[in-house]
Amino acid sequence: MSENPQTADGAVPDPGAEVTESVTEAPPEEVTAELADDMHVATGTREPILVSSGVTMQFGGLRALNDVNLSLHEGEIIGLIGPNGAGKTTFFNCLTGLYTPTSGQVVLRGKPMPQDPARVTEAGVARTFQNIRLFPSMTATENVLVGRHVRMKQGPLSSLLHGPRFRRSEAEAAERAEKLLAFVGLTRFSEELARNLPYGDQRRLEIARALATDPSVLLLDEPTAGMNAQETEATRQLIFAIRDLGVSVVVIEHDTKFIFTLCDRVLVLVQGELLVEGSPDEVRGDPRVVEAYLGAPPEEVSAQLQTGGATVGNGTAEGKSE
Amino acid sequence: MHAVEETPRLSTFLSQIANGLVLGSLIALIALGYTMVYGIITLINFAHGEIFMVGAYGGLATLTYILPTAIATTWYFALPIALVAGALVAMLIAVAMERFAYRPLRNAPRLAPLITALGVSVALQEAMRVFYPGATAALPFPNLFVEGAVVIPIGDGVVIRYVGILLVVMSLVLAFGLERFIERTRLGRAMRATSQDRDVARLMGIDPDRVIVLTFAIGGALAGVAGVLYGSYLNNINIDMGFQNGIFAFTAAVLGGIGNIRGAVVGGLMIGLVKALAGQYMPGGTAYDYVWIFVVLIAVLVFRPQGFFGESERVRA
Amino acid sequence: MTATATPRTPATPAAMPRHTGRFAGLLDVAAPRSTVLMIVGGVLTLVGAYLPWATFVLNEGPYPEKATLNFFVAPFGVTGFRLHLVILGLAAIVVAALRRIPARHRIVRGLGIGVTVVALINGLWITVEGGGLGAITASEGSIAFGSIVALVGGLVTVLGASAGGLERKPVWTWKLPWWVEWVLLVVLFVIVLLLVAAVLTSGGQGGVVNPYAGVVFLSLLAALGGAFAALNASGLLTWVSVVSERHRTFSVIVLLIVALLLPLTSAGTEYWMTVASNIGVYAATAIGLNIVVGLAGLLDLGYVAFLGIGAFVAANLSGAAASQIGIHLPFVLVMIISSVVAGMFGAIVGSPTLRVRGDYLAIVTLAFGEIFVRSAQNNIGGLTGGANAIPNIPAVGVGDFKFSDSIMIGSLRLPSGVLYYFLIVLLVAGVMLVFAHLKYSRLGRAWIAIREDEDAARAMGIRTGPIKILAFLIGAMLAGLAGAFFAHKTAVVAYDSFRFLESVTLLAAVILGGMGTIPGAVLGASILFVLPEKLREFSDYRLLLFGLALVLIMRFRPQGIVPDRHRKAELTDPDVEDVAKEGPGPLPTRVEP
Repeated sequence: MSENPQTADGAVPDPGAEVTESVTEAPPEEVTAELADDMHVATGTREPILVSSGVTMQFGGLRALNDVNLSLHEGEIIGLIGPNGAGKTTFFNCLTGLYTPTSGQVVLRGKPMPQDPARVTEAGVARTFQNIRLFPSMTATENVLVGRHVRMKQGPLSSLLHGPRFRRSEAEAAERAEKLLAFVGLTRFSEELARNLPYGDQRRLEIARALATDPSVLLLDEPTAGMNAQETEATRQLIFAIRDLGVSVVVIEHDTKFIFTLCDRVLVLVQGELLVEGSPDEVRGDPRVVEAYLGAPPEEVSAQLQTGGATVGNGTAEGKSE
Repeated sequence: MHAVEETPRLSTFLSQIANGLVLGSLIALIALGYTMVYGIITLINFAHGEIFMVGAYGGLATLTYILPTAIATTWYFALPIALVAGALVAMLIAVAMERFAYRPLRNAPRLAPLITALGVSVALQEAMRVFYPGATAALPFPNLFVEGAVVIPIGDGVVIRYVGILLVVMSLVLAFGLERFIERTRLGRAMRATSQDRDVARLMGIDPDRVIVLTFAIGGALAGVAGVLYGSYLNNINIDMGFQNGIFAFTAAVLGGIGNIRGAVVGGLMIGLVKALAGQYMPGGTAYDYVWIFVVLIAVLVFRPQGFFGESERVRA
Repeated sequence: MTATATPRTPATPAAMPRHTGRFAGLLDVAAPRSTVLMIVGGVLTLVGAYLPWATFVLNEGPYPEKATLNFFVAPFGVTGFRLHLVILGLAAIVVAALRRIPARHRIVRGLGIGVTVVALINGLWITVEGGGLGAITASEGSIAFGSIVALVGGLVTVLGASAGGLERKPVWTWKLPWWVEWVLLVVLFVIVLLLVAAVLTSGGQGGVVNPYAGVVFLSLLAALGGAFAALNASGLLTWVSVVSERHRTFSVIVLLIVALLLPLTSAGTEYWMTVASNIGVYAATAIGLNIVVGLAGLLDLGYVAFLGIGAFVAANLSGAAASQIGIHLPFVLVMIISSVVAGMFGAIVGSPTLRVRGDYLAIVTLAFGEIFVRSAQNNIGGLTGGANAIPNIPAVGVGDFKFSDSIMIGSLRLPSGVLYYFLIVLLVAGVMLVFAHLKYSRLGRAWIAIREDEDAARAMGIRTGPIKILAFLIGAMLAGLAGAFFAHKTAVVAYDSFRFLESVTLLAAVILGGMGTIPGAVLGASILFVLPEKLREFSDYRLLLFGLALVLIMRFRPQGIVPDRHRKAELTDPDVEDVAKEGPGPLPTRVEP
């Protein structure tokens, strides 16, 4: 008998203790290509796919959103910035059916957005959460499989019988989950419980889970909050790759440098109102933004914005208010 | 002719109203403990009903084994002593329960304390059955108040026993006192702060553990008083009385909006009235009065879970 | 033969472990002599086992025979608990002496704990029975230090083992040819079967006829527990479970066959068949409850009502004289109808989940359960017989043949009730299959997702309302199936069997076994229904102990005996609450839009 040492902790990676570095490289191109094939969300339309017109949200006496308009085209990355309490997350919640706008409407591919998060997801809009909302005691793979829920057709009876069609759909889902985990670079953690993943990887897993629903629009709520520079860069690459899948993306972020180097178009929300909309360069140069944004001497902030170094507010403060 | 038929009906109705109010104020006393504990640590303390039961047995034990017969049969000695004894025993058990069963689970997922509460409930009931002499059957409990009744001359007469009036008055006084305590005193403010946000309260220099113990102690004492009054009114007690009335009390607390003192009292009275009137007028009679209370409970939880006096939705950070 | 394993930390006497905690000083002193102490402890155990244990003559009954309390009658032929001590002691000596065995300290500690508990149980019992400490020391010229010596032996063993430093559990990666593994699994399962039979029948039926049953049973349980702990420490159990996982289908089939063979063992009497059938009923119900509580995370405190509904429906369709509906349908049809009716009620009870969450939902289910009991008690619609129950439900049968008869296979006579036993084994197996299939499907994942974070689940496109109601519906259907069986097996259905306490017991079975796992529910149900059967002499304290046990389990092992990989983390680590809390929230009163 040969001796083959195998240790108790050698078999299972213990990321909580051993791995603190998150993935930093962009998704491999061949994975992206394959996934884009599988997801098949791009239609090549020139029409905007997501339009919000006049969305207003009133909480008692507080007007959290006032007449917000947005139109998202296919393959576009839109950034949404603004100081804390500007109504960014409220706007997301209106888009995803969590809140019903007091007035105004949201239209997805010509149809009014359903008023139920489950149906919104079914219609093709997926989101991530500002404070990570994974299923903590499920593995990474299982988390992604839950994302496949709406695209799987098994009913209770076929779940019960485990027939050939059931097995085929499970196999397909498993394969997709595997690809998605490879796409976000979490293959090595596929069997790890979500709660044990490093922080940055939890955010990536949330993105993979959202992508599993085959969305045509992905809403990312502060995807780089709490990340270091490398991780932020990796997230940028990831979002570009997501766009290459044919998915249109809306990003809320505090990190202006991140937004300005990522997005095709930037919207500035201040006190529930859309202040400025335009290309990163236009927004960066707009004095109104600078003034309303920080209320600080414009020149200073402007300088910071120009260099792209300003990080406005902090994620944790707003995170707690939810 | 018409009037002759009407008056007995009216007297029956009024009698049931009176019964309902007496039972209701009893339930209200128990509900106060439920509502306070839930308000502070969001735990449905299933064992609270058993605390009420233990209080009744504590009072009975004092009367039977400790007090000389002469004193135990003189109401103005026996009543206060039994009430205090019942309250003390119940308070002790409630505090011990908090300390040894619930506190270690303060940060556990919500299922754990709930199951623990069920376990404590079963254990208390059984401990009483096994260790209290004769508790396997219902035990007679003396009336600790003046015998006799007020008779309102309507129809066949509406009879309200003095002890029933005592029960209603004591419940209202205690509930009022508790509300004043919570609103006016420093400890009361600490309780309110702790129920809003335990961590912030800690930062403000409040020791949440002490506040929680205090909550259990007050709730326990009130339940103990309720137990002695229950025995005094119904003249017998049994080990099942805790579970039943505990559920009624919880229903009352939910009905009035959990965490709300006044709501618990109104909820208790409503439950008492539902039970009395349903037993009289609903199909099935008293055999199903119990069922109607649960129907009310389900309806309230489904359609107005914040209760009739609760804030519509409390959002916590 | 591919590979074997070595322990993570080879026994290096050079590195003495540092001890902390209450006994740190004692352990530090004992550390250099740990091996010697373990061997001494083992020897003391052996000596204790061979010494006399009682200074008085015990009553007649199986206990003295089994335990041979008279040392000089059969000096070497010890049986019963003394035999267990000999085995545990010898094992401890051998393992302690062989320094190459990985994790030997941990193994020996398990054995030592077993010895300690066995000595404690028997010593205490003899003390109580003999009326004082004289019974286990010296009295009226006879001496009996067996229990004390064995107890000291056990404690010394534990001390030595703990002082030596507890190693990590080794992981074995042996992979044998498939047929060897198959044979191994068959042998192991048969051993398990024999052990189960031995545990069931140990000390005989409990109660007045046999005052020794409880202590013999507990002692055997302690001995097995020690052996089990030792095996677990050696990593062999984990390896076996890996092997059986490798041959999953085969294992399941063998396990099923083995379960069907129970009537051929010493447990093959009518009495034990009945006990086993009752366990089966509650196991099936507990698995149903496990869907609702363990997977979907919805607490149900009135669950036993569904068992009751199934039983009453079956009773009414059985042709029993007291039934309101005077028809007699075939059993299979009755089962289906019972299950469907129970499922319908399940959906009704579950419908408040659309609006009510968390603790409040628990209260709603409790209220439904109480409404059921009250209605049944009052003979609602004449369907439940009220306080008179529905008696004389005919046995399941085809023509003249009744399931309650005993059967002959050749010259082999199987006890009556054996057919019911076969039926319930198949039923439980079916229910387990349903649970397993659902758990690992789109539906099961949706349930778990809802349990973990309901809002996030909705954001993933899960329509939480219907899916939650489905959990109630399916769980109730399984309980209804069990109820139909229950009605025919016990022949009497009374409202009294479906009280709140039974719901709590079922919940306890699920939690004790391990929430969300299949073996958990069966194990929990077995423990909770075998214990009272075996410990009848303590029946007065049964519920008291049950209540205390619930409190202690929640305090010390909330994840249960067989923890679910998913659930484990959630129930043990308070940090998770921070994430999970977002779902139900502190006040579970949120009305969904």
